[in-house]
Amino acid sequence: MADWVVVPAYNEATVIASVIADLRRYADHIVVVDDCSADDTASAAHSAGATVLRHSINRGQGAAIQTGLEFALRRGADTIVTFDADGQHDAADLPVLLAPIRERRADIVLGSRFTGQSNVPQLRRWLLRGAVVFTRLTSGLRVTDAHNGLRAFSRRGAEAIHIRLDRMAHASEIMDLIHSSGLPYTEVPVRVRYTDYTRRKGQRGMHAIRVAFDYLFGRWVR
Amino acid sequence: MGALTTFQSIAIVAAAIAFAAMLAAAALHRLEWRTAFAWSALWALAALTILKPSITVAIAHFLGIGRGADLVFYCGILGMLFGFFVIYIRIKRLESEITRLVRALAIRDAEEGRDVASR
Repeated sequence: MADWVVVPAYNEATVIASVIADLRRYADHIVVVDDCSADDTASAAHSAGATVLRHSINRGQGAAIQTGLEFALRRGADTIVTFDADGQHDAADLPVLLAPIRERRADIVLGSRFTGQSNVPQLRRWLLRGAVVFTRLTSGLRVTDAHNGLRAFSRRGAEAIHIRLDRMAHASEIMDLIHSSGLPYTEVPVRVRYTDYTRRKGQRGMHAIRVAFDYLFGRWVR
Repeated sequence: MGALTTFQSIAIVAAAIAFAAMLAAAALHRLEWRTAFAWSALWALAALTILKPSITVAIAHFLGIGRGADLVFYCGILGMLFGFFVIYIRIKRLESEITRLVRALAIRDAEEGRDVASR
């Protein structure tokens, strides 16, 4: 099976090489979508052995993921994992993530930081719990972690995903797309590392309001 | 109607210029005729209400609004909100078109084996 990993990256030059080195132990094809970084993310990723796609204008994480998915599908990917570039995910989770797809139990597998043992900071935990309730109300999907960048798709699953919301609201949009595709999905426990770096690079809590607006407006206006 | 007030004289000239400008723009293919007619009609309506403010008063009373000026004010606000909305949608559409273009370029460059590190 051709296993692909899509890594959307924006200004991650200092960490991207080690992320790719970890991934290479578990997957053959790694594609980094450099979303017009101002630093050396692209060349660092290239040297580390990834295929690098470069957005000539910054378009946001949702857009970068969609670019990676389309590229991997064109190259004949059988499975595609999306993996954040900041080092918050653990490459060792890939086999766990891909297992339900290999066993043909699911076409979409979502990583959850809440089903297993959890190390999520308190404030973040409340915010993400709010996001889960939001997802249940808007998408009708019952998940425990709606905003985890670590996901796996079968080829069929990836083909059902067409992300239109370019920026951070894509996480909620993916939930909608999963629901409307009717494809089987499941959650597996994954680890999320909270370091000073990932927390600095991550989303601020207040940003959630803007994201919710983008999402709701995007649903309404096609 | 009586003599025109200073405001009426200035406003009527401005409306007439705007009216003519819309039609001229259409004639010069800068604007679609449909759009030009819609704008011209709006300016004609403006000129009419400037010359005979009693029209807006009558409509305002019919709708239960006290003054004609208030009616014009409300219509203006609604029109602007609608305009913002239309522009917002257009920007959204434009952004998604840019994204599709950027994506197509990124995929094409990668498939043609152009070296990312050198760019």
